[in-house]
Amino acid sequence: MIEVSRLKKTFGEVVAIEDVSFNAADARVTGLLGHNGAGKSTSLRVLYGLIKPETGYVKIDGIDVSQDRIAAQAKLGVLPDGHGLYTRLTTREHLQYFGRLHGLSDERIDARSDDLIRMLDMQGIADRRTEGFSQGERMKVCLARALIHDPGHVVLDEPTNGLDVMTTRKVRELIAELRTLGLCVLFSSHLMHEVAKLCDDIVIIAEGRVVAVGSPDEIRAAAGEDNLEDAFVLLSEKAVRL
Amino acid sequence: MNVVRAVLIKELKDGLRDRRALLSAFLFPLLAPVFIYGLMTLVIKQNTESETLTLPVIGQSYAPALMSQFKEAGFTLEAFVGSPEAAVRDKTVELVVQVPEDYQETMANFELTQVLIIHDGSRNDTRTIVRKVRTLISNYNNELAALRLIARGVSPKVMQGVRAKNSDIASDEQRAANLLNFIPIYVLMAAFVCGLGLAIDNTAGERERRSLEPLLINPVTRTSLIYGKWLAASALAGAGMVITLILCLAAMLALPIDELGLNFTLTAGQVLMLLLTILPVPMFASSLQLLLGLFAKSFKDAQSYVGILVFIPVVPTLVMQFLPIASSFWMYFIPIFGQSLMIKEILGAETIPLLAYPAAFITTFAMSLLVCWFTGRLLNQERVIQS
Repeated sequence: MIEVSRLKKTFGEVVAIEDVSFNAADARVTGLLGHNGAGKSTSLRVLYGLIKPETGYVKIDGIDVSQDRIAAQAKLGVLPDGHGLYTRLTTREHLQYFGRLHGLSDERIDARSDDLIRMLDMQGIADRRTEGFSQGERMKVCLARALIHDPGHVVLDEPTNGLDVMTTRKVRELIAELRTLGLCVLFSSHLMHEVAKLCDDIVIIAEGRVVAVGSPDEIRAAAGEDNLEDAFVLLSEKAVRL
Repeated sequence: MNVVRAVLIKELKDGLRDRRALLSAFLFPLLAPVFIYGLMTLVIKQNTESETLTLPVIGQSYAPALMSQFKEAGFTLEAFVGSPEAAVRDKTVELVVQVPEDYQETMANFELTQVLIIHDGSRNDTRTIVRKVRTLISNYNNELAALRLIARGVSPKVMQGVRAKNSDIASDEQRAANLLNFIPIYVLMAAFVCGLGLAIDNTAGERERRSLEPLLINPVTRTSLIYGKWLAASALAGAGMVITLILCLAAMLALPIDELGLNFTLTAGQVLMLLLTILPVPMFASSLQLLLGLFAKSFKDAQSYVGILVFIPVVPTLVMQFLPIASSFWMYFIPIFGQSLMIKEILGAETIPLLAYPAAFITTFAMSLLVCWFTGRLLNQERVIQS
């Protein structure tokens, strides 16, 4: 369970997020939807403890991220906005490094790595250095790295950005699988159809504010539009005018 | 502790696989001794090989007695024709001695005779031979004056007044150590050069390839990440530094330094003390490099900042060169300065106050820890994370 309440964050003069509140429940997929620059990444960065909000709080299973960052982060599996790899390390070595940082034993790491490599179809690249990996292969390594410690909550910032169809499908399958495992999944996207297809709950964010929260049907009803994409555009534009 | 170890292992693995960076890092410790050996061989050659010197002279026939003095001193005389100034300027000759035409005449009249030495005072390589010629002429003058006094029935002793006598209190080892000034510079520089690549890749590089964010979302304290990175960079810098030290000492032992009338010996105890002295230096160097690496806006920025640090080891030697102050105890407390001093003193077989070892070790080590702690704090700042 992730609770986000009344977040505000400014960078100098720029107000990145004004007022962001939403909840993401366990065993559900929550989509954070918004245009580029709407405040999605900033909200998530606050959520996974990289930056501190001016007001408001984020709680992971009741643990306040600002007050106990380390305990909260231990419960999170994150694909952050910036997700670079170490080109001289292999896929398995990436998993090992992050597993150790999470305090896992080497046996646990090996077992879990095998699972993830199977889950994400990475057998071919498991022992190769990541130098020269394709966009999709890199994304798989990042996802596996985020999941190495078997977290209860998964936060993915634009997980399908720039991927080909095959890998995008794989990522969507993974998200669905994580939900059936009972995890709390939160991901951001600017693609309406993706969010509509995958999510149980949608949070629409525009100009640093949450403008609508609810199931796809509720969102359509709130906007008075049958098409979810039209509803998204309408609600976002309304926020811009405000 | 487990986090520090995990980071250390990963950074070392990553760093050691970067063959190109590794090669450039270790080029320095491998090249420095070769450079030293070549340079010192040249110096020794210049100082010992002066027997077959040719001396261009104008008007040899005017002063046969003086000429035979030169020949006795080992000079081969050579008649010079042309413009002596031009020849010296063109560096075709090192110097020209010009005997005036009226040499015999002035000599007979007991007037002052001037023998001209035409040379270029800005040239370092001719300084020795010019000094030698001048001394020879001056000695000849004294001899001549003595003979004249004897001819008049006066003892040459009346000319004796006061003369300076040299008593050099420096031991042969100390004077050799003076020649070894560059060893502390090289060894300490190695500590700054060899871990540099890893330290930058660790910090500015981590941000540049956007892997800093994933790293920071791990449930660990940020100072422990820095300690791991610091130890990795220190290990590499330390390895390079020890290699440099060993190769420099080997080069010194291989040199025919006794031909200069100097003595250079090395005991196992000295080597041990040297190692003990320089041990905290790579830690200090790496901590500063990590700090600057994180502080820099980009990889390139970091390289130029960290590049400046490399010249820190030159500073103590320069200071001691221009401000010849006696070493006193407080100096050992200054990182790099203390070590630079101690390396020189150990090589010169001087006695160092025993407390200097812990003093230098602890302050340098403590300052490195302090810098690391500060760097860890810096990692908590959003400005630093977001480049």
